[in-house]
Amino acid sequence: MADVTLTINGQQVSVAQGGTILDAAKKLGVFIPTLCHDPELSKVGSCRMCVVDVKGARSLVISCATAAAEGMVVETESPAVMEARKTIIELLLANHPQDCLTCGRNGDCRLQDYAYLYGVRGSDLTGAVHQYELETDNPFMIRDMNKCILCGKCVRMCGEIQGNSVVDFTYRGFNTKVAPAMDSSLAESSCVFCGNCVAVCPTGALQEKGLRSSARPWEVKKVRTTCPYCGTGCSFDLNVKDGKVVGVTSCNGDVNGRALCVKGRFGYGFIHHPDRLQGPLIKKDGQFVAATWEEALGLIAQKLGSIKGQYGSDSIGVLSSARCTNEENYLLSKLTRAVIGTNNIDHCARL
Amino acid sequence: MANVTLTINGIKVTVSMGTTVLDAAAQAGIFIPTFCHDPEIARFGACRICVVEIAGMRNLPASCVTEASQGMVVNTESPAVVEARKTILEMLLANHPQDCLTCEKNGACRLQDYSFRYGVKGPGFEGKRHEYPLDDSNPYIIRDMNKCILCGRCARTCAQVEGRAVIDFTYRGFNTKIAPPMDTTLAESDCVYCGRCLAVCPVGALTYKRMAGKGRSWEIEKKPVICTFCDSGCLFDLNIKDGKVIGVTAGTPGQGRPLCLKGRLGLELLYCDEPTDPLMKRDGEFVKVSWSDALGLDGVLDKIRKIEGK
Repeated sequence: MADVTLTINGQQVSVAQGGTILDAAKKLGVFIPTLCHDPELSKVGSCRMCVVDVKGARSLVISCATAAAEGMVVETESPAVMEARKTIIELLLANHPQDCLTCGRNGDCRLQDYAYLYGVRGSDLTGAVHQYELETDNPFMIRDMNKCILCGKCVRMCGEIQGNSVVDFTYRGFNTKVAPAMDSSLAESSCVFCGNCVAVCPTGALQEKGLRSSARPWEVKKVRTTCPYCGTGCSFDLNVKDGKVVGVTSCNGDVNGRALCVKGRFGYGFIHHPDRLQGPLIKKDGQFVAATWEEALGLIAQKLGSIKGQYGSDSIGVLSSARCTNEENYLLSKLTRAVIGTNNIDHCARL
Repeated sequence: MANVTLTINGIKVTVSMGTTVLDAAAQAGIFIPTFCHDPEIARFGACRICVVEIAGMRNLPASCVTEASQGMVVNTESPAVVEARKTILEMLLANHPQDCLTCEKNGACRLQDYSFRYGVKGPGFEGKRHEYPLDDSNPYIIRDMNKCILCGRCARTCAQVEGRAVIDFTYRGFNTKIAPPMDTTLAESDCVYCGRCLAVCPVGALTYKRMAGKGRSWEIEKKPVICTFCDSGCLFDLNIKDGKVIGVTAGTPGQGRPLCLKGRLGLELLYCDEPTDPLMKRDGEFVKVSWSDALGLDGVLDKIRKIEGK
């Protein structure tokens, strides 16, 4: 495809035809703030945060949805652009709670980042402020529609990536609100609580219930890992505070992007659960008794050996698991075929 | 020295006589919040956020000034303690701006930390609020007395350096305020901008002007450096954001650690990727000066140039 060359802040850059001004700026390392834009979702250009000055254009144009054109001359931080962005932030803050003090997203909020970046300390605009009730009737996430800036990323994530289309814009004008059908709560809707909407929410409107009440974003260390629940192999970040896993957040995984399912995102409670089995148990006289790994493995080897000796190798079958790593599955295959001596091995994800 | 054994939250702890309940708890790995307490300064016991419940005591004593005694039974998070702490936080927030959104201290503020910890979402009381003008009269320190919680750590650490004691409590009651003599601005006072008060301020009342707007606390990585300008060996922190040193802040103050402006500016020149020009007071006005002038190196440079000429 043909390339187009344009000038951004005095620097020349070439992008493939159809590429946006935002893409071109990114290529140059020029930062443009965005709220509704997401590279994985359709372009709606609704928040206007990413406006830039294009020479000859009638008004400021949105860089996230405007295709770069040959010879275009773009200024990303002209006085008009700065004023527009400040006004957008002021308008958003006019109907946004000033409770960063205890907000779970304090420190990980685009609205806050941009308010600081552009020195918008608050809003002089006074007007109606939403007083929606906090939605906490499900075990996974908190919905605070007072903090929603109507960027619609959750709506698109739900429809375009998750494919569930549980939430969408409802009502009109100032009363516009993102909600499930009939403006019910998520618990009453067909929501599967994958939490992918939470992963893309730029503010504190959608928050992970456990994570955001137990740690502030700057207190956690993120540890990249692979989900152990199924064979898909999604990547995510374990959020660790004081040596304990307090939550899961999306990363940009090779397999899954930022998408996760309810188990991967919210099913981490077992990690530090007191009931968690942390060592082998052997049944002695009808009771499970704690044992060492040496004892347990020795017992298994002895029993398998005696079955093999008495009934032959093919009397043993092995079922492997998608929750194991490739290496573990390979080793189990080796153990079955080379040590036990049978081809009776299968895997739950064999399709 | 004799030892005493006490029980804190069911854990037995043995400490030497004279140790505070706060230090004994720290030894047992138990966290107690503090505002006015500073291990480097004399005990003060003003803020009451560190109160604990001790069996047999008439009320909740401040753990930072209560010495551990033999057989003491302490509960650091009993319902009464938690209620007292919540009320203290609510009262502080009743006269504290709710502007974490853009506050430079956001993320490194004890008032915010404890509000989050105890689930205090805002002031529980409506009442008068201070509307002090911002003191940004000097090039180094921004003082926002609306955010001051009157813990007094700044005044006490300032007084610790011989001949300083620039600021102290002024006025009374609700009007109590930390200020230089005659309630002037810092620029009009004898302040030398060493920054030790900034190092101990638990809230956003004192912040570095040269760092304003440059980055948020969670974006900044701190790397300690020791100043080599004199033999005091003061600790400073390099503030690094996106791999760039954006400022130098005073480290832990203490006895024999003046943390002077010269030292901080010298380290700025040495480490900052884009050091800004220093400003010095000449005839009562701050004027831009050269780095060699600010650091008092003119004489040295002159001598070097003379020798080079020979």
